[in-house]
Amino acid sequence: MTIERTVTIVPEAGLHARPASAFVQAVNDHEAEVSAGRPDGDLVQAASMIAVTSLGVGQGDDIELVADGPDAEAVLDELERILTTPEAELETDDG
Amino acid sequence: MAERTLHGTGATPRSGVGTVVWYGRDISLPDPDGVEVDPETEVQRFADAVDTARAELESEREATAERVGEDEAAVFDAHIQFLEDPTIEDAVETMITDGIPAPNAVDAAFSEHIEQFEGMDGRMAERADDLRDVRDRLLRLLTDGERVDLDDLPGGSIVLSERLTPSDTAQLDPECVAGFATITGGRTSHAAIFARSLALPAVVGVGDALESVEGETEVVVDGDSGEVLVSPDDTERVAAVSDSGAAVVDESVETIDGRHIEVAANVGQPAELEPAAQRGADGVGLYRTEFLFLDRETPPSEDEQYEAIREALDTFPDGRVVVRTLDIGGDKRIPYLDLPEEENPFLGERGIRRSLDPDSDLFATQLRALLRAAADGAGDLAIMFPLVDTVEELDAALEALDTAAADVECHDADAVDIEVGVMIETPSAAFMADELAARVDFLSIGTNDLTQYVMAADRENERVGDLHDPTHPGVLRSIHQTVTAAHAEDAWVGMCGEMAGDPDLTELLVGLGLDELSMSAVTVPEVKTAVSETEYSTASERGDRARLAATRSKVHTTLDT
Repeated sequence: MTIERTVTIVPEAGLHARPASAFVQAVNDHEAEVSAGRPDGDLVQAASMIAVTSLGVGQGDDIELVADGPDAEAVLDELERILTTPEAELETDDG
Repeated sequence: MAERTLHGTGATPRSGVGTVVWYGRDISLPDPDGVEVDPETEVQRFADAVDTARAELESEREATAERVGEDEAAVFDAHIQFLEDPTIEDAVETMITDGIPAPNAVDAAFSEHIEQFEGMDGRMAERADDLRDVRDRLLRLLTDGERVDLDDLPGGSIVLSERLTPSDTAQLDPECVAGFATITGGRTSHAAIFARSLALPAVVGVGDALESVEGETEVVVDGDSGEVLVSPDDTERVAAVSDSGAAVVDESVETIDGRHIEVAANVGQPAELEPAAQRGADGVGLYRTEFLFLDRETPPSEDEQYEAIREALDTFPDGRVVVRTLDIGGDKRIPYLDLPEEENPFLGERGIRRSLDPDSDLFATQLRALLRAAADGAGDLAIMFPLVDTVEELDAALEALDTAAADVECHDADAVDIEVGVMIETPSAAFMADELAARVDFLSIGTNDLTQYVMAADRENERVGDLHDPTHPGVLRSIHQTVTAAHAEDAWVGMCGEMAGDPDLTELLVGLGLDELSMSAVTVPEVKTAVSETEYSTASERGDRARLAATRSKVHTTLDT
């Protein structure tokens, strides 16, 4: 199953630093293949910290997510949560 | 004429000639044309290196999380993510399939993204450092022990490197090194300060041009002009070899009219002790204890600190070793001590402010180690506290010292009498010098910080470099005020900033009444010679005229005539 979703970035740091780290971690924790990109640009592997960071998306920018796999819905829900939570409130796995 | 001349910043007024040895970054990659690559084996080798690196990172992560905290351990998560990054992995595997050896492929794949990150701003540039760390970790595993050993260099080596860290310089055998040059770094970088204390010829901040100098080439490193001469001619070679500076003066020195001035060395790590003694230092006027806390994951034990201070005291059996208690904060950061992020770290929690709280346990441990070393070591120990502003801070520090002394007497040894002092680095301390001096044996003026705070000019900011100059009359007056107040309380006054090591300013400082001057070991002979050529009565008059001048240029006119 392939699904798409567009999310507006909330964390102040944009998709960098901790939010990027949490984002890539979440992709790796799921089975679905995920790609990401600016709405008008090419898609890159969402499991690559380097690729994701190089998108250069900041606070307020839109990012398009495409997931393909059994848990596509779940991974997009988790990614949306990360991208719409202000950085200070973002919890890591270890609390 | 040399084949080529590269320009950087001179770190030491010395020059040396020798043969290039590359250290660090240049982890001797195999010649890609010289080897037959079996892609399958190389891909497997790469996969194994990634596995080993992951295991290393995970265990370092665990250790850090346990000893320091989750926040600090997070950097290892980022490293693991870069290590497993599919963008890198795909690029490396493609290159290996095209016949490139694994180490070269790793180097190329990482370097591309390092450059990309470096081009971005702020937080992204830091990511470049993370990538560099991960790359070097993989390359170390893939090239297996081909890294140059700094403690086993052939004599007459000139070490070239991206940068030199404290753990690198700690391994360097000064006997075998004729000098070094680095791509990055300025006059106050660790490498530059290290070079001065060992009197090693060094040029820092040469830039990427340095990378083009091949190993085994002969070069001259001229720390005076800040030049690196590649393949020098005979005249240049001879000039470099014969430049060994002023003759060493072993005896203590006095002015023509008999005023004794102690000339001591600033020391930042044990490797600098012996060279300081060889250059004729009477003792140590500033022993920075921070090195003991660097490049490790937990603070050093009381015994480790005892051993280090003991070694210093035994190196100067007839001299005095002035130890500064832990001075972190500002630009000096130690990961496991969890320093706060501050808007203005130089105006924040640093020096004694941290030692009283929150680092009071570390402070107590350090004081006990110092007192035990004083009881057993040959030389005389003196302790001074950094960045004291108020009498309250000094009283609290003295109380901590009393507690430590009682503790040592109870358990270890009879406490011996030691001298205690305060560093004068802030305007408040200079104004309060009389009250502070009444409570201690000596004051030591740290001119780098005192100038920064009196002039409100960041010492690292070149745009205000003109203001950050200790020969402004405002700074000279604060020095004079400190000396006068201390002498009225029978306390002696030393100076341990860069200013003390400038032989052109020796007469001025003697004239202002300083009793001790402490500096990087390299200029000890020049300053000793300058003291013995000074007449105190003339210097004193000149000091008065200099401090009473209205402008810096008038100060300089006074000094030149």
